[in-house]
Amino acid sequence: MQNRKTKNILSDLIIYVILLIFTVFALFPVIYVLGGAFKTNSEILTKPELIFSTKPTFNNFIKAWNADNFNVERMILNSIWYTFASVAISLLTSSLAGYTFARGKFKLKKTLFAVFTSLMFINVGSITIYPQFEVLNAFHLNKGLAALLVMQFFGIGIANIYLVRNYVKTLSEAIDESARIDGCGFIGIFFKIIAPLLKPLFATLGILAFQASWNDYLMPTIFTLTVPKQRTLIVGIMALKSSGEGATNWNLMFAASSLALLPVLAAYTFANRYFVTGLANGAVKG
Amino acid sequence: MQNNLEIKRTIFHEKKGINNESWKCYLLISPQIIGLFVFSLYPILWAARYSFFYYDGVSVNTRFTGVENYITLFAKDITYWKTWITTLKFALLKLPVELFIAMLLALLISKKTIKFSGFFRSVYFLPHIISVAIVTLIFCNLFEPFGYINTLLIKLGIIRQPIEFLKSVSGGLMMIIVTDIWMNFGVNVLYFVAALQNISNDVYEAASLDGCGKVREFFSITLPLIAPVVQIICLLAIKGVLGTGVLVYLLTGGAPGGNTHTVNSYILGKFVPGFAQGIPNLGYGSAMCIITSVITAAISLIYLRLSQKASDLY
Repeated sequence: MQNRKTKNILSDLIIYVILLIFTVFALFPVIYVLGGAFKTNSEILTKPELIFSTKPTFNNFIKAWNADNFNVERMILNSIWYTFASVAISLLTSSLAGYTFARGKFKLKKTLFAVFTSLMFINVGSITIYPQFEVLNAFHLNKGLAALLVMQFFGIGIANIYLVRNYVKTLSEAIDESARIDGCGFIGIFFKIIAPLLKPLFATLGILAFQASWNDYLMPTIFTLTVPKQRTLIVGIMALKSSGEGATNWNLMFAASSLALLPVLAAYTFANRYFVTGLANGAVKG
Repeated sequence: MQNNLEIKRTIFHEKKGINNESWKCYLLISPQIIGLFVFSLYPILWAARYSFFYYDGVSVNTRFTGVENYITLFAKDITYWKTWITTLKFALLKLPVELFIAMLLALLISKKTIKFSGFFRSVYFLPHIISVAIVTLIFCNLFEPFGYINTLLIKLGIIRQPIEFLKSVSGGLMMIIVTDIWMNFGVNVLYFVAALQNISNDVYEAASLDGCGKVREFFSITLPLIAPVVQIICLLAIKGVLGTGVLVYLLTGGAPGGNTHTVNSYILGKFVPGFAQGIPNLGYGSAMCIITSVITAAISLIYLRLSQKASDLY
């Protein structure tokens, strides 16, 4: 019996070692970039094994904040307003649609829902950006983050629609009926009754939308090609990296990347469970 | 009684609801309906149409070329088909490693005596929430000839000369695989843990009473019980691998010499504004995108068929 117990403890110990090895694997690159943000460029280039500088410096942040060609301050402001707008749009359109598909009674309900769902599997790929630009152009909305937000407004976030729809379906219809008797219409019921009840779901949807738009790279890059002033933080960092000055500016890129990482890491630390709840959601999208 | 209520309810709706309120329903989903036609269906038809044209954005140059784009793609474009081989290589090298790691970690985390399992799960998932752009920036730095990984390997005495990862196909592929596994293994750990939680304890107890060993237990009990979930996890992973583009583009840019481009990073670098050089033939790009999505869908379908057959064997 004693023998068995020590054997169990030993096997648990081995398990912890394996789990810790992968903990280091998962965390190391993040710690490396956060540490690198406080190193000088020559330290980054010549002493990569040094994760934390012996003489940590704040200069990278100050320099990045004030640089002319790499204006982190403006990029962060762009990222912030773009992210806020994107989250608001995503919450509004997906909750309205989810509610309509849960409670609405209209002829094309099943057809439209099936079509929206099947679009998830039909994806022609990146070339579609050209016709999309063509449409936006016709409305003189061909550049800048605003144009991208317009396109997001008309986007079909089917995974989010599913989440809202299923959530609304769990709410008792008796509440809307009583509101209806009080003279509330279909839209009124949403704003007065349903929307307040959706709050817990909004937290999940909001955090996922926040993470997606704050991290977004491809679309904001395409839409800010002709208006570099509107570059978001992620876009700006990658623009610096692909420019000729990239190699000499690892310190600035690390500092800016750390700033880009912090909001997401903070959100993940404090609202971890929302990320995980939304995982199934992300899987459907992916 | 219940029935009566139902009838009353429907009458109530018919009187007040349907007729004058269905326009409100359409109003609330009007963004999606407009988006369906304008930003989804129109672009698909656009691509389908222009795949039969030469089109470089200048309307004067546009001309109908019939199936020429498709013939060129199938008969002459060796580079494109090479990117498919790279994509499949990437998939075959990455998926088994990633899924094995994820399954192993999920089994270890799920063991009853292991504490802090929530912490481990959260940490493993953390890389997935980071922007792919930042991820590639970090890994580009780590894989530099004089970067952290080379320095570490030299210090450990595993290599003498620093490896220039971007100078060889295997080096570039290795960068892509390691980075991609880093970003995605935690997702699969979460899926597997969720699947394992659904297995009742009684089954394991019965097995251990019958004197079943751990390895036997895994293959005879755990795996068959979570097989349907594993099938979906694999499908999602396959879809993810086939769709990988931005990560590869930003990590290696196809280096050396375009030899590590996956299909999607190749298309990105060839046709997407801001990444493509010059003005590409968008008609040809349309044909390429259409064929790519057809092949991608076909691979997923073939996988589903095969895995269905495999699960029928149990």
